[in-house]
Amino acid sequence: MEKYIRPGVKTTPFCPGCGHGILMNAILRAIDESKMDMKKMLFVSGIGCAAWIPSPHFNGDTLHTLHGRALAFATGAKLYNPDLCVMVISGDGDLSSIGGNHLIHAARRDIDFKVICANNLIYGMTGGQVASTTPKGSKTTTTVEGSPYRPFDLCKLVEAAGATYVARYAVTQPVALINSIKKALLHKGFSFIEVLSPCPTQFGRRNLLDRPEEMIQDLIRRCILQEEVRGLSEEEMAERIITGEFLTCQRSYRCV
Amino acid sequence: MPAIIQVRLSGFGGQGIVLAGILLGEAGVIEGKYVAGSNSYGAQARGSNCKSEIVFSDGPIDFPHLTKADILLAMSQGAYNLYCEDVKEGSGLILFDQGQVMPREGLHLIEIGVPATEYALKRLKNRQVANIVLLGAFIEITKIVSRKAMEKAIRVHVAERFRSLNLKALQIGIELGRRVHG
Amino acid sequence: MRSTGLKTTFPKGLHYLSGNEAAAEGAIAAGCRFYAGYPITPSSEIMERMALRLSELRGVFIQMEDEISSICAVIGASWAGAKAMTATSGPGFSLMQESIGYAAFTETPCVIIDVQRAGPCTGQATKVGSGDIMQARWGSHGDYQVIALSPWSVQEMYDLTLRAFNLSERYRVPAMVMADEAVGHLRETIRIPEKIEIWDRKKEKGGAPFGTDEEDGVPPMPAFGEGERLLVTGSTHDAFGFRRTDDPEAHAKLVERINQKILKSTRVIVETEDYFLEDSDTALIAYGFTARTSLYVVKRLRKEGARVGLLRLKTLWPFPEEAVAELGRRVKRIFVPEMNQGQVAGEVKKYARCDVISLGQTNGEVIQPGTILEALTKI
Repeated sequence: MEKYIRPGVKTTPFCPGCGHGILMNAILRAIDESKMDMKKMLFVSGIGCAAWIPSPHFNGDTLHTLHGRALAFATGAKLYNPDLCVMVISGDGDLSSIGGNHLIHAARRDIDFKVICANNLIYGMTGGQVASTTPKGSKTTTTVEGSPYRPFDLCKLVEAAGATYVARYAVTQPVALINSIKKALLHKGFSFIEVLSPCPTQFGRRNLLDRPEEMIQDLIRRCILQEEVRGLSEEEMAERIITGEFLTCQRSYRCV
Repeated sequence: MPAIIQVRLSGFGGQGIVLAGILLGEAGVIEGKYVAGSNSYGAQARGSNCKSEIVFSDGPIDFPHLTKADILLAMSQGAYNLYCEDVKEGSGLILFDQGQVMPREGLHLIEIGVPATEYALKRLKNRQVANIVLLGAFIEITKIVSRKAMEKAIRVHVAERFRSLNLKALQIGIELGRRVHG
Repeated sequence: MRSTGLKTTFPKGLHYLSGNEAAAEGAIAAGCRFYAGYPITPSSEIMERMALRLSELRGVFIQMEDEISSICAVIGASWAGAKAMTATSGPGFSLMQESIGYAAFTETPCVIIDVQRAGPCTGQATKVGSGDIMQARWGSHGDYQVIALSPWSVQEMYDLTLRAFNLSERYRVPAMVMADEAVGHLRETIRIPEKIEIWDRKKEKGGAPFGTDEEDGVPPMPAFGEGERLLVTGSTHDAFGFRRTDDPEAHAKLVERINQKILKSTRVIVETEDYFLEDSDTALIAYGFTARTSLYVVKRLRKEGARVGLLRLKTLWPFPEEAVAELGRRVKRIFVPEMNQGQVAGEVKKYARCDVISLGQTNGEVIQPGTILEALTKI
């Protein structure tokens, strides 16, 4: 444990039923199975629940930054010391809303970051407000009649911006998720893994998924691998979340 | 030479006024003078009025901007009209680009026309170096800096592929200066 | 911009440089090897020169997507061990404020050059102002300290940028060079000194990076990748970086220390210059380009026998309150010409027990000697 968990850390701060603990476990397993040296790992996060996954828990260098700016801070550290393995772990609101511009530019530059975007579809820490990832129609404290707007497809967004490894999994697919993180650790270039993580406290209870197990079951029911999409009717596809590895390529040009 | 000489170079954006100012200042520094240079320009890069001001001194310069010009170089009518009255009466000198600028009557100072653009076009087929032609005439007439220092300044600030063109323009300017001032 | 052909710091001796170019050379001389920035008039020449020089010196340069990411990248690089800086002007300086607070609270050395232009808002982008003085001090939320220096010449764009790095490294604090358009775009004779003094941040293996019992209040700062397993956060933290977001004592202690480490070193940090003040009954207090105009006026009036002098502020923050208070005891009145509506005049009034007259000007132009002369001859 001490190899990966910072001495002095005893508990996590996450709510009962939060998916971030599973994600934390998946990340550390991937690191362990990849035999990464924690002394050469830098974990950068922004503000929000997911930003607390590495800070203070992970026993490497951790940089807990400002809301939205994790990738910008990470850019300075990685460019100055390319030997660091830089993993950016933050939430959907942090990375794609307030930090959206940094997200597309870091992807465009194809800087060697391993970005884990914990997507709980909502602003959890601030009390359940609508996010850029909240599904249309979902209720939040700031969309009392359901969100009128479409959410981002984060994977398509970063792919269009120039990311070279793109995947989406839910915490209900732990083996695939761990394998994906391991691939990202090996990948040279901008890697982005969107991880669906349930938030029963802020999202579930306002959207008829009050109990943690209901949220987990909902994710299991809705998540479908991209290989399984073929042959499904539009009706069968409704409300499904397509998961899998969407892109893995190496750019011919040099990147950090 | 008095202790402080204030020179204003003027024209419109794109004529190389700022570069001429930098060369003049650099040449001054090469000769061990105290120099302060400043430029004024608008948000638009080409076409608007443009000036470059250089203060030469034998000692440290307190106020580094021009208070009243001893010498005005004008490469456009607009710049001439704007600045011709802000030159010291009596001792002042205006060098204008003859053919580009119609001088005004009745200014109590010395005015000398130098056909810089005309010669740049005629001799070098390149009006872009009219600034250097005028600069050459200017240093020949005033001896404010030496030719050697100016050549060195050109070597410092002008990209290699344009260097010999600019040195030729300087030579033409010096000859012109000798002729018009004669 | 043309290559300097140099693989080293700028050669000693006399040169003819613009203020912005000199600032870049000062940074290089100080050991700056990381620059992140975003273009903005009238500071862009600093960025262009850093792009050129850092490529010649194998440092790191990056043009970021905005000013927010620029200062964030600078802070990230600083924790990776770099001496890092950015340069900007008013609108970009505004965008950087949250992150400047982060740098102050996480005690991250970094240098920000603000080549001030005529604000507020977009204002007059190519024109001069010095309206960011208060923003430098109070721009981010909460109680913190910064160091801000004010160059009045091309020489000082070099000297004070170098000094800003030294102070920033020594005290682990954001240091700002509050230049203005007039000094940034001025070209002057500058002498690159033979010898310079360089400070580097303290390092100590296993030390507490956010707490110290040392007199100076400045803890050691290791870098990422050195095996220290650093824990850096912008939340309230203890000596080892653990978040302490519910602990009143931890918050009070940290805020107190990051303020006091600067305030108790004002004797080292603050620099002022006196001109003709020995027998003066009237004084000018000025900084930046306006101090040049002020000295010119003072010398002219002295020739006519007036008992007038100048106190020039080379350091703006922490404020030179002792020098100002002392001057206030000796003279009858103090005039404060500045290119804003009295930002420093307000500070002078706090400390000087004499008449303080603000000569603020906000028209996008430098204050001309005649303007100050006229105000002074009215008395």
